[in-house]
Amino acid sequence: MTTFDRAALDALPIAPGSTRAIRARAFDQFETLPTPSPETEEWRYTDLSDFALDFVPHVPGHGEGAPVPDGTGLAATMLQHNSSNVMTTSGQDLESKGVVFCDLDVAAEKYPELVDAHLHDLVPTDRTRFTALHGAFRTGGTFLYVPADVAVELPLQTLTYLDADGAAVFPHTLLIAERGAEITLIDRYTSADLGSALSDAVVEIVVGDGAHVRYASIQEWGSGVTHLSVQRARVGRDADFRSLSVGFGASLSRAEAETVLAEPGGFSEMLGVFFGDGDQHFDHRSVQDHVAPNCTSDLLYKGALRDASRAVFSGWVHVRPDAQKTIAMQTSRNIVLSEHAKADAIPNLEIEANDVRCGHAASVGPVEEDMLFYLESRGIPRDEAERLVVTGFFQEVLDRVTLEGVRHGAELAIQEELGRSA
Amino acid sequence: MVISQEEHLKELSKDYRFDWKDESHSVFEPKRGISPAVVEEISHLKSEPDWMRKRRLKALEHFEARPMPWWGADLSAIDFQNIFYFIRSTEKMAANWEDLPDDIKGTWDKLGIPEAEKKYLGGVSAQYESEVVYHKIKKELDDIGVLFTDMDSALRDYPDLVKEHFGTIIPSNDNKFAALNTAVWSGGSFIYVPPGVQVDIPLQAYFRINAENMGQFERTLIIADEGSYVHYVEGCSAPIYSSDSLHSAVVEIKAMKGARVRYTTIQNWSTNVYNLVTKRAAAYEDAVMEWVDGNIGSKVTMKYPSIYLLGEGARGEILSVAFAGKGMHTDAGGKAIHAAPHTTSVINSKSVSKGGGRTGYRGLVRVEPDAHHAKSTVRCDALILDDESRSDTYPYIEVEDETASLGHEATVSKVGDDQLFYLMSRGLSEVEATAMIVNGFIEPITRELPMEYAVELNRLIELQMEGSVG
Repeated sequence: MTTFDRAALDALPIAPGSTRAIRARAFDQFETLPTPSPETEEWRYTDLSDFALDFVPHVPGHGEGAPVPDGTGLAATMLQHNSSNVMTTSGQDLESKGVVFCDLDVAAEKYPELVDAHLHDLVPTDRTRFTALHGAFRTGGTFLYVPADVAVELPLQTLTYLDADGAAVFPHTLLIAERGAEITLIDRYTSADLGSALSDAVVEIVVGDGAHVRYASIQEWGSGVTHLSVQRARVGRDADFRSLSVGFGASLSRAEAETVLAEPGGFSEMLGVFFGDGDQHFDHRSVQDHVAPNCTSDLLYKGALRDASRAVFSGWVHVRPDAQKTIAMQTSRNIVLSEHAKADAIPNLEIEANDVRCGHAASVGPVEEDMLFYLESRGIPRDEAERLVVTGFFQEVLDRVTLEGVRHGAELAIQEELGRSA
Repeated sequence: MVISQEEHLKELSKDYRFDWKDESHSVFEPKRGISPAVVEEISHLKSEPDWMRKRRLKALEHFEARPMPWWGADLSAIDFQNIFYFIRSTEKMAANWEDLPDDIKGTWDKLGIPEAEKKYLGGVSAQYESEVVYHKIKKELDDIGVLFTDMDSALRDYPDLVKEHFGTIIPSNDNKFAALNTAVWSGGSFIYVPPGVQVDIPLQAYFRINAENMGQFERTLIIADEGSYVHYVEGCSAPIYSSDSLHSAVVEIKAMKGARVRYTTIQNWSTNVYNLVTKRAAAYEDAVMEWVDGNIGSKVTMKYPSIYLLGEGARGEILSVAFAGKGMHTDAGGKAIHAAPHTTSVINSKSVSKGGGRTGYRGLVRVEPDAHHAKSTVRCDALILDDESRSDTYPYIEVEDETASLGHEATVSKVGDDQLFYLMSRGLSEVEATAMIVNGFIEPITRELPMEYAVELNRLIELQMEGSVG
């Protein structure tokens, strides 16, 4: 039984441009693809076999009650409220440079040649039953296009806000940076605590040759939300892609982040920060796929787990036969702060070229006793000492975050989590 | 380019010095394929007790019901109905090398086993096809109650001990190949070391496959009673044929309170042997279990020696060396399951691939709830010698206790140009220099081997390196 039936599909707002065909195709895939089974390696740690797809398929939003986006320090902002893209504030200078920042549904009509070439190209709808569901029921979303050699200094931000209990939302971000472009985009997902809700998100990022793209996703859903996201970026020749994934919210969050180094000379940095409490479940999956030679990728995920929360990190480094002179690093570090919290790490390497430097490291453990001892011997109470050590633990990642606002926000969120445990 | 079968065999055997074949020895006409009748016949020929016959038949059902593993190496070419499941090559097990048929004895001479026995072994078991053809233990060990015999004799001579422990560490339905082994097992070693007894010279078993399409399914059970110590070493080889053989062993070990067991394998099957082995040890309070696992040969190896740390303070160590050359896929690794407080494990893996070979480390470290203060480190290093070869690392870390401290590190690299240049500027050829670097790379493992085996392993690696650098 699911609420995502043909009647619900037909009740969606009219599909613009090629979206119509995507919806029809994806709906068929949704009906035929199996629910991912924990018997498979990909879903071994997140069992959704009994997950009822019983959500309201489409809840229009009007912006009422949603936080007013604070545009300070941002080049443009967008607000998606439930299933609707309700507002975009964009400066004239962006338009004059040819930058397009708008509702993905609007873009499908106005820029069909761009949207048709890229929408669901990196993340095909038939990847899983959930991406098929996304393809069938998505409305709104973020479209960002940056023409060749255009540099935008300040970040752009989309806030996706959800306040409808029982709703499903399908955030989609399509970012296309042409040759030599420079751009920063922040996706922020927030909601109140809800009884239950589904966020089924897709992020597709095309980094053109020589382009510099920074992308941050900040997941602060309230409790009750199940967040399933797939982010995939293709990095062009000599291009530079840096992504940051911050996860504090949702009851269950499965976030896949993949970077394909498709052309020589590419660079990819993937940072992750997460903090679990209550009975939160995080399933982080990453892929660094080196297809072309002379590329470098670096991944660092750090998380702390409290209460009965649980985190899994499974990372894959693929070095394809032609990808000589690859440098690929992958690190997953986990601090376990309470008796019932747990963490698993599976940092995989698959290396098919020989002239490479690849390494990975993973660790799971409590706050180091000798560090606590040192601080306590200096007269710092144990609670405070633990907060200091955990703060220091995260600092290694946060120091690498060049987006001032994002870093500050993450620091505050970590302090808030730590404050609650005192 | 079409390569004749003969040329293909020649190519395969170029660096493999164990490629000789004896005349076929079989005391009855062997049959291919597996069925309940074949299992009944094996049990009947061995005049086994009824419980074992039933155990075998039940295991055959498990084997047939289970799917092939979907992960790891490609096993689709195994033809289970083309394998000989049981070949008896002599009527009677010998206690003197002289009592063996000439060419079988010749095989052991060429392998250097009788020589080694004289020099530094406490006991030797030599298995040829399905059964142990030679067996001997030093009198001093026999006198203090150390039992070292082949598994078939153990079932006959110590039925209660075998019945008590057989299949308790690796149940017959553990996995498809453990089920197959349980159904058709033959040969292997049985060792019991009494409390407090230190067996300070190694006991060795050597496994030789001679026939084409042979299936060898030895079954080994080692029980080290409280406070005892034993070091067991196994080696293996086979001639090269154009069609495949299957080696699927099960090894069960119990290291009781305060005992220490070291199990060393130098696996050097020819490149037409599928080597699919289940090895698992239980380590009780303050016990130490060590697997030293060298995988140099075979077409496909899937083997992950495991340690279940069941008693407080138990320790486990897995040292793994894997080599994969042309046409080979070595998927090795290890598992450490921490199920008691204050247990520690160390896994150290070194792999080398060349000539299109593929090596993989696949491992699991798991800390069960309440196994507090567990500690584990895993270190995997891989060396890839050319651009056709491949290396994979699949480490699983699962932690259910917050006081556990686990780390994993891995590197993959090639032989450094500057290292090669330095050695070559000192007058070494590229092949010699590469072999030297590779030997240095695996040195952390070879230094744990008895000297004779370390020399052997280095020599095998050097042989494998020949002709490797283009």
